[in-house]
Amino acid sequence: MRTALRRLGIYVFTAWATITANFVLPRLMPGNPIEQLIGKLQGRVTPEMIAAIKAQFGQGLNEPMWVQYGHYWGQLFHGDMGVSITLSAPVSQVLSSQMWWTIGLIGTAAVVSFIIGTALGVLFGWTRGSRADSIIPVATFLQSVPYYFLGTILIMLFAGTLHLFPIMGAYDSSLNPGWSWAYIASVLRYAELPLTSIVLSSLAGWMLGMRNMMVTTVSEDFVLMAVAKGLPRRSVMWHAARNAVLPSVANLALTIGLLVSGSLLVEQIFNYPGVGNLLVSAVGNEDYPLLQGIFLMITFTVLGANLLADILYYVLDPRTRTASVN
Amino acid sequence: MNEDSLVPVLDVTNFSVDYGYGDDAVRAVSDVSFSLGRSQVLGVAGESGSGKSTLVYGLTRLLRAPGVITSGEVTLHLAGERNGEAFNVLTASEDELRQVRWSQVSIVMQSALNALNPLRRVGKEFDEVLRRHDRTSSKTARQERAIELLALVGLAADRLQRFPHELSGGQRQRVMIAMALALRPELVIMDEPTTALDVVTQREIVSELYELRQKLGFAMIFITHDLSLLVELADEIMVMYAGEIVERAPAVELHGAPRHPYTLGLMNSFPPLQGDRVRMTGIPGSPPNLKSPPGGCAFHPRCPSAHDRCRTQAPPLVAIEDGHRSVACWLHDSSSTEVVPVSLSRRAASRIGQGA
Repeated sequence: MRTALRRLGIYVFTAWATITANFVLPRLMPGNPIEQLIGKLQGRVTPEMIAAIKAQFGQGLNEPMWVQYGHYWGQLFHGDMGVSITLSAPVSQVLSSQMWWTIGLIGTAAVVSFIIGTALGVLFGWTRGSRADSIIPVATFLQSVPYYFLGTILIMLFAGTLHLFPIMGAYDSSLNPGWSWAYIASVLRYAELPLTSIVLSSLAGWMLGMRNMMVTTVSEDFVLMAVAKGLPRRSVMWHAARNAVLPSVANLALTIGLLVSGSLLVEQIFNYPGVGNLLVSAVGNEDYPLLQGIFLMITFTVLGANLLADILYYVLDPRTRTASVN
Repeated sequence: MNEDSLVPVLDVTNFSVDYGYGDDAVRAVSDVSFSLGRSQVLGVAGESGSGKSTLVYGLTRLLRAPGVITSGEVTLHLAGERNGEAFNVLTASEDELRQVRWSQVSIVMQSALNALNPLRRVGKEFDEVLRRHDRTSSKTARQERAIELLALVGLAADRLQRFPHELSGGQRQRVMIAMALALRPELVIMDEPTTALDVVTQREIVSELYELRQKLGFAMIFITHDLSLLVELADEIMVMYAGEIVERAPAVELHGAPRHPYTLGLMNSFPPLQGDRVRMTGIPGSPPNLKSPPGGCAFHPRCPSAHDRCRTQAPPLVAIEDGHRSVACWLHDSSSTEVVPVSLSRRAASRIGQGA
């Protein structure tokens, strides 16, 4: 119990530190980003907006820092992360609309490649030393090819030359977004190529990792014991696989943490909507409120993923529970 | 012991195991033959690398690559439902083997911590093995049987809810022993089951094993490097060196009057628990490199009684003293003119009965 509390304390502290840094940084920025912003928005800006932007960056206000800090927290608790300058919409609203594209594409790709890669890893680890080992160089090659490179080639070949897949976007722009079959089918169709490129390039990593763990685990005594007990092949393999999968599960949770930042390149290449694309345009347009919002979101996904990894380990490995039991 | 012991459980002839293939092959067990009677306890002793573990893992076809069985025949005489059936272990298919495993031959390994799946509660391991061999059994019946088995080794029923890492070393090994007995096997193989334990626990477990054997009547192959442990438990002891049997004799006789210099050395490597304080001599040198074994008798470079013949000719395992024990040593060859050291001679037999 004490271990769990201590870990939770670390999470709370990290979250607090991030939020505070997010508050302090714009106020320490050299130059005057605000004037720049207002200059960029020439003609399209109302005095109220200027006041709002200034307030957000702590300028033009006579309140002391700590009052502003309190204010900032208050806003956060209400889900208010300010207004995006370029999109003229609340940051929270922009994020929540774009987030689902990222989660849908990258999240699905991560889960699919984890499941397929791990299953293949179990099989190849089990049949180690056989002809199946010739998969290793192929897998190593796939693993070393960056997915944006693979993605570019796939676009050129299958979307460009062969016209088998749409080249860009997330759905057929002639359709109205909504819960219609045509729209959903189009979303799935547009996701095929980006999904394939991510899955293909990350699959090998899971496979090799799992295979290596499997080879190590198979030589453990309890696996030999399972054979000696006359258990069927499948049960013996399960004894080994269940133990070998632990590091992969922890890695999966951590990968989810990198989901948002990792989406950047894929979304650029496939011109896919999502947080990665949003981040690029926010940087390009110096949209500070939006940037702040995205950074907060990235931090919280990483923290959440770590928490998830901790919880999964706790559930999957009884040995990690001992410290808190005693 | 009794007439039961005349009915064989296991017959092994000319059994050899190599590690590796072709020119790189290293002979780990060479030409071993023995037979084991019903409810007999056979002790197998020897240093690390003498081939004792390889022998039993080979016999049960549990050898891991690159271990290869190169010759021999292993016959298991089944009991229970298949009473009287002679089962050829080395030619059996995987499926046939699975039927026999655990229900006829079970095994207890040296490290119980590694032999139990760390992610499973003890109860689940019992359940799995009981269910595997009787699919019609109910869950409650299996649980009752598991509790009964734990009681057999002196453990409370609540241990079923525990994970392996929550048990002490002695408890874990008791769990393994209980599990080995789960399907009432005809033969239980103990691969150094007490080596990882402290002396007190070792003692307790050995006497428990003795009682269990008396009660349930299974045969046992007990591997250890501690000869003194075997004296109380084993009916017969087989001493191995460099993959070969160098001496085989009834336990008390072997301990009281060893005939092979290696057996004597092995005995002198452990302090006696009772009696006068003696200087420990051990065995000089180290086990031979099996890749390039010494010519002649494999033990001759370390043997205090080695003579010319030992360096060129390997001694065969021959029956001595009316055939109730055998030894592979030129000292005991009828044509030998060498002086047999007192400690290895027949006269030493008078030490029998004076306690070990």
